[in-house]
Amino acid sequence: MSIIQQHTADTLSDAWRTINIDALDPDSPANFDVSSLHPPLAEITEPEARHLATQVRQLLRGGDAEGALRGCLDSPVYNGNDLAKEAHLATVIEVLQSIKASEMTPMLQRIYASPGGVEALDVLMKYLYKGMASNSGASSSSASPARTPTRMTPQPTGFSQIGSRSLASSDSTGAAMSVLLSWHEKVVDVAGLGCIGRVMTDFRRV
Amino acid sequence: MSQSLRPYLQAVRSSLTAALCLSNFASQTAERHNVPEVEARTSPEVLLTPLTIARNENERVLIEPSINSIRISIKIKQADEIEHILVHKFTRFLTQRAESFFILRRKPIKGYDISFLITNFHTEEMLKNKLVDFIIEFMEEVDKEISEMKLFLNARARFVAESFLTPFD
Repeated sequence: MSIIQQHTADTLSDAWRTINIDALDPDSPANFDVSSLHPPLAEITEPEARHLATQVRQLLRGGDAEGALRGCLDSPVYNGNDLAKEAHLATVIEVLQSIKASEMTPMLQRIYASPGGVEALDVLMKYLYKGMASNSGASSSSASPARTPTRMTPQPTGFSQIGSRSLASSDSTGAAMSVLLSWHEKVVDVAGLGCIGRVMTDFRRV
Repeated sequence: MSQSLRPYLQAVRSSLTAALCLSNFASQTAERHNVPEVEARTSPEVLLTPLTIARNENERVLIEPSINSIRISIKIKQADEIEHILVHKFTRFLTQRAESFFILRRKPIKGYDISFLITNFHTEEMLKNKLVDFIIEFMEEVDKEISEMKLFLNARARFVAESFLTPFD
């Protein structure tokens, strides 16, 4: 008769309290559509990203490093699958590593002064952070091993090193990271802190 | 300071300065609540792009900004097992006394050794550049501290082993 009799052990437990009801409510702030925070973006597929990479490489071989950098910063992969994004990140890092340290600041100043230069440096900043976040982007570095002469040798402790974490690849990634870090410093010098602020608040993520 | 440490700390400093732009923001899900959005994660539009700054695989900083709070997670350099143990003990010592550090988070984010949580209330009553200086100084000091502790540990272990093994000499 009464509804209480229809309860089983399952319904009497308090497991239902742990359900996140906000996720089920379409009007709740938890279900805010983040894609409404940026204009619709054209999707870029992996072959397109690879095609751009070959064009950029041709510019690099021709000695036009600034054109190569500008070329890959003008067409960032905002909307695309992970493969396309990774391919474009690898292209940007390749260009960055091929530019000499003495050329960085004048080149950035020229880009910053040119039309659309502020956006280009914002995109560059996005790729610098993404490059530091992903180790795979760093592993593609074969060039410029001489940038970091400091070699971290673990001190002999006399204790056995069984099961220690592998530190084999840290040397090459360290070199790649130091390139990105010096670029980061130069971009902040040229474009200011607002550049980082725009990277954080922009919902178009690379 | 070594050559590669300076640009790393400089990058962390500029990113932190840019990220520490916090305002008071009440929770949108619970009335009369004011929670750090980066921890609650109830409104995706106020969570900003997380920034990672890495020196190499073993040393990195993750900055997760949001409208009223930022979370900074630091992975401290650990070259071998001893340093791993020392870092664990050291961060445990600090996190157990988290209330006297104000901005220290009691539990680090997964994959990192120590985390800080700065809310708009902290930036209201503390100076922003001092907060940034504190984090940078912590990062500078902790490497020094760990390598110093490791040297002491080795010296002590050698001494103990010597005195322990003298009767068998």
